[in-house]
Amino acid sequence: MLSFTLITIVIGFMLAIQFRTIKEPEVRDTRDTWQIREDILKENELQSKLLREVRSYEEKIAQYETELNQGKEAILRNTLEELRVEAGLTEVKGYGIILRIEPVIEDLLIGNTVSNVSPDLLKRLVNELNMYEALHISIDNQRVINTTVIRDINGETKIDGHSINKLPFEIKVIADNSHSAEKLYNRMQVSKSADEFFVDNLRVKVIQPEGQITIPAYDDSIRIRDMKPVDPEKGGNS
Amino acid sequence: MWLPILGLIIGVILGLLTEIKVSEEYANYLSIAVLAGLDTLFGGIRAHLQNIYDEKVFVSGFFFNIILAASLAFLGVHLGVDLYLAAVFAFGVRLFQNIAVIRRIILTNLTIKREKTEKN
Repeated sequence: MLSFTLITIVIGFMLAIQFRTIKEPEVRDTRDTWQIREDILKENELQSKLLREVRSYEEKIAQYETELNQGKEAILRNTLEELRVEAGLTEVKGYGIILRIEPVIEDLLIGNTVSNVSPDLLKRLVNELNMYEALHISIDNQRVINTTVIRDINGETKIDGHSINKLPFEIKVIADNSHSAEKLYNRMQVSKSADEFFVDNLRVKVIQPEGQITIPAYDDSIRIRDMKPVDPEKGGNS
Repeated sequence: MWLPILGLIIGVILGLLTEIKVSEEYANYLSIAVLAGLDTLFGGIRAHLQNIYDEKVFVSGFFFNIILAASLAFLGVHLGVDLYLAAVFAFGVRLFQNIAVIRRIILTNLTIKREKTEKN
């Protein structure tokens, strides 16, 4: 009976192992190349679908933004802002050059004192700068706009009421971009105005600053006296 | 009578508790060995019931059958013939015969018992 029991134990043991072997086969990846390819294809399709969704949502966002921007009010506001920039009522930042007007030191040693810059010279310089495609100009931090007058009042050179009575001062010029700023710099290096300033015992030092410079806004209100808007009833059929 | 059944249960529990796993290519051999073992077991039970049980025959039959079945399967794999099917067939048929004989013996035993109780 003992051997019988032993053998039943052995049989039970074998049964259990067989059971385990059959019941718990290792989960293996038995896909072949083509099945894997198909799976990759499926995943790719899913990915492109998701990307499409993302794109459509992004398009929607852009649409909403353009709708917001392209309202009539926004257009008017944009135009107004552009005009303000053009008129010089805003602070401007950009690439440009700085002209430093200073007295000739050697002349000071002799005893000649220079206290004034002639408005004609300044006008000439501003014209030259404008000719060389300068966009925004400020003289001694006074913005030069279209209606700016540079004139001599009682022996003082005034730019729109701002008098220039101390030397040296700076003329800041902003060009379209860094390339044209470079061009402007090169032109001003050989400018004739510099020679004319030298006749008045003044030296024009051209500085090309690193990075951007800032030109302040025109701080007075622009008064327009001899202009009035066209009657919208009569005109407007342009 | 209960000892072999207890042994079977102990064997099954032991097998389940140990983390032994047979690799797939040997699973065939193990299955045939299990079949041979079961065949021997039922043969033994039948012999016991017929009162012709011999321990030597039983033990030697158990091991010999298992080895024979496993070697048949091995030979079959190397010859490219599914020889283990022969073992499965033989053991299957004998298993059914043995179980049938056991059933009949138990049935006759039961009827004899019933007749005895009715006589009493």
